[in-house]
Amino acid sequence: MEIIQIKDLHKTYDEGKIEVHAVNGISLTVAEGEFTAIVGPSGSGKTTLLNMIGGLDRPSGGEVIINGTEITKLSSRELINFRLNNIGFVFQSYNLIPVLTAHENVEFIMQLQNKPQTERHKRTIELLESVGLGDKMDVRPRYLSGGQQQRVAVARALASKPRFILADEPTANLDSKATANLLEIMERLNHEEKMTFLFSTHDQRVVNKAHRVITIEDGIVISDVEQQHIVHPSDC
Amino acid sequence: MILAIAWKNIWRNRLRSLIVIAATAIGVAAGTYSASLMFGVATQKINAAISNEVSHIQLHHPRFRENYEIQYTLPEAEKMIRDISRLPEVKSVAARTIITGMMMSAASATGIKINGIDPVVERKTTSLYTKISDTSGAYFGDGLRNPVVISQKLAEKLNVHLKSKLVLRFQSADGSLIEGAFKICGIYRTSNGMFDQLNVFVRQSDLAALLGNAPVHEIVVLLHDNSDIKKVMPVLKQKYPAAEVKDWQELFPELGMLTAMLTTMNYMILGIILAALAFGIVNTMLMIVLERSRELGMLMAVGMNKHKVFRMIMLESILLSLCGGIAGIVISFFLIQLSARTGIDLSAFGQGFEAMGYDPVMYPELRPGFFVGTVIMVIFTGILSSLYPARKALAINPALAVKNE
Ligand SMILES: Nc1ncnc2c1ncn2[C@@H]1O[C@H](COP(=O)(O)OP(=O)(O)O)[C@@H](O)[C@H]1O
Ligand SMILES: [Mg+2]
Repeated sequence: MEIIQIKDLHKTYDEGKIEVHAVNGISLTVAEGEFTAIVGPSGSGKTTLLNMIGGLDRPSGGEVIINGTEITKLSSRELINFRLNNIGFVFQSYNLIPVLTAHENVEFIMQLQNKPQTERHKRTIELLESVGLGDKMDVRPRYLSGGQQQRVAVARALASKPRFILADEPTANLDSKATANLLEIMERLNHEEKMTFLFSTHDQRVVNKAHRVITIEDGIVISDVEQQHIVHPSDC
Repeated sequence: MILAIAWKNIWRNRLRSLIVIAATAIGVAAGTYSASLMFGVATQKINAAISNEVSHIQLHHPRFRENYEIQYTLPEAEKMIRDISRLPEVKSVAARTIITGMMMSAASATGIKINGIDPVVERKTTSLYTKISDTSGAYFGDGLRNPVVISQKLAEKLNVHLKSKLVLRFQSADGSLIEGAFKICGIYRTSNGMFDQLNVFVRQSDLAALLGNAPVHEIVVLLHDNSDIKKVMPVLKQKYPAAEVKDWQELFPELGMLTAMLTTMNYMILGIILAALAFGIVNTMLMIVLERSRELGMLMAVGMNKHKVFRMIMLESILLSLCGGIAGIVISFFLIQLSARTGIDLSAFGQGFEAMGYDPVMYPELRPGFFVGTVIMVIFTGILSSLYPARKALAINPALAVKNE
């Protein structure tokens, strides 16, 4: 089933006299359960594309249909609510509320959704344990490593039970060990929970892990390929 | 939840928040403490007037207070006094003969109000007798013939001393001039210069000897409690429809309105202080929004709606000002406790206070109601100060705020 459907998407920035076509006519679909990377050099339009898919930015033209909803037609108030209930976000940095502990950061999303306290509590613990932070529940972000912070962000993104997770260069600030660790967790969640991931990167090691790789340059798709994967023994 | 986050957020930049809180605390402490001084002064003035002078309720002939004419007496005064004394709320009742006239010494003369009183009853009703110092004689009762009690002010004006002779001159009801020689038996001094300038006290019986009778112009009623006025007034009005029955607020409207006027004024002063502080709070909140724009963008990106963002910023502003406000009230509370016992003596700063009817030693008065009003105004300041910064926060574009730069 298709979760994300974009048709002839455009985004033009008006920089004085020069028009920048950050996204210049992209059409693609993402199905449930995919583990897909958007790849491309810096400035190719990855962030612009992901922001439009995530409803953070309005396209200059084209459609973004998430789970049957044409989100560009939503009012900004409806859009916030739509994001809350349908999309999990992981950003490169500034993901967490610094004054809250890991536990509170994850729980916060469910509080915004008005979930009952017992459910919030149980799910927060489950999620933090599944990203390997069962022992860091009551620690505030600044006492966590970059990799740990991104894992909290992944747990937070999952907390709202979204249709898919959108991650814009989630490993850009991480060392290779933390990158591998985060990718492994994302892959496991994709495999075990059937959670759909759409993430951008320009790191080849991350690209290698993706099941599908969409390469863009200058705002257009130049290739879109499925990747053969080495199956982990634990997956059997 | 948002309240908890807001609370934690204000302590992110501890020093900056503490500076804002300290500024608010100082402003609120100054505003509420000066208010308590003014309330204290007003209460002192009112209490002094009630106990030295007016008592709680007075009865007159309806036309007497127009010109203090001698013929406007209260008929059947003795029976009235007896009946009023029986009311359970009434502490004591005194009758006075009041005549305007002249007082003359060898040196000069001045217009005065002669109060003919019964010293024994008057002592129970007014406390003027306590305003005579040990070296200034006594409140009647030392066997002098025709004793008179005058004020320090009048004594100076007429250049007379204790035991000096004075002549009182006034018109009787039939228009004939009457003169009597009196001897000063006591010299009083109250904090109300205007009262002192006018009032002399003689025995009602001595006046009666000069006039041939003892007309009663004024009946003063002292109650056990000021709050009983509401209960006693209608009773007296109904019982004595021919008399004018007035409580102290009606007799001295400027005293009655003093408290209300001061309350308004104190709230205005506090409002001005808070308005000045609001600029500091707005500035701080703008800095907070600017510094946290990425975080605020992230919050909106992941689904925190504008209501909640607005509320969070507003709560931070309210909490900042409220912390300052409460700290200020606590400071002011202790200052009041500290200075309420000893009072603050302003006599060193000038002689003007007494002339205007104020005691030079001020005793601050704690008014819980004013503190409650202050807290409400502080919260209001927090809300107003947050409006502009919170709007700025809502204008943050989450797409820009979360951009990977
Ligand atoms: N807010 C903006 N205003 C103007 N130009 C922008 C803006 N955001 C991005 N761009 C331009 O759009 C292009 C694509 O940027 P971006 O989507 O951030 O690429 P990537 O994420 O692949 O590095 C770049 O040329 C960039 O300069
Ligand atoms: Mg980017």
